[in-house]
Amino acid sequence: MALIRIPGALRQLTANLAEVEIEAATVRAALAALEQKHPGIGGKVMDGATVKPFIRIYVGPDDIEGLQGLDTPVTARDEISIIPAIAGG
Amino acid sequence: MKATIVGAGGLGGPLALALGAAGVELVIIDPDVVETTNLHRQIQFAAADLGAAKATTLAARVSERGGRAKGYKLRWLADDADDISGDCELIVDGSDDPVTKFAVADWAVARGIPYVIAAALRFGGNVLAGAPGTACYRCFFEEPVAAATCAAAGVLGPIVGAIGGLAAALALALAQARRPTADGLGTLYVFDDLRVSSEPRIVRFSRRAECSACAQRPQEKVA
Repeated sequence: MALIRIPGALRQLTANLAEVEIEAATVRAALAALEQKHPGIGGKVMDGATVKPFIRIYVGPDDIEGLQGLDTPVTARDEISIIPAIAGG
Repeated sequence: MKATIVGAGGLGGPLALALGAAGVELVIIDPDVVETTNLHRQIQFAAADLGAAKATTLAARVSERGGRAKGYKLRWLADDADDISGDCELIVDGSDDPVTKFAVADWAVARGIPYVIAAALRFGGNVLAGAPGTACYRCFFEEPVAAATCAAAGVLGPIVGAIGGLAAALALALAQARRPTADGLGTLYVFDDLRVSSEPRIVRFSRRAECSACAQRPQEKVA
């Protein structure tokens, strides 16, 4: 199963889990499955059908914007990272 | 060398003390005063400083250690930036405001000077090292919308010391190099949870063709 890394700013929505395992064929499906497991997190990451502008999604070392966007395929060995802008100081 | 530090709080404290001790002349900007709720993480302040302006108090702390710093109790705004920071060769943001972070990064990109944008939240944080000519803060995060802040989510006290220290080290390295990385990629250091690991994830990213900040770079236009 692919692994989704949850940023600290969103862990209140995953019962403080730093990683969530997901079975999915694409990033879009992985995020939908994440929302199924942890309701509410999808709305923090997505704005309708697109990723919110201050959040980046990486598969391994690559930004999905340079791949196939939300349709980027994922395999069981992939790690998906959600990287939000934060502003605390 | 002269640098502006935007924010004199949890990140601005270690940034100013480290850069001041390294011989960097500082302009410190922050509109706030010291409050009781700041003291657990803003260890440059003491209870006796409650109610005092953060910027001038921090500048005094830098001076007490032999550094050179001036503090100004005001908000750093792009409209005033040339007056406040125009003679600085480096700018570092440790503010608690997403709009300010974008404004600082955009201004630095347009002037072609190095910048560092630091943020801390809960148990982690991130630091963007902005070398001139490389992909910028706006290339990566695009626009300042509803980013999580300490006021909303809190931050563990020691986290800001760790993130601020890294930001100071990167600022000094950038100021020395003053040139783009060979590949032109931007670099973001991400700490998910410093209680678990002090090893950052280093995220490299490319310029975004439609980035409005990159379009303002001196002597170059993005194709």
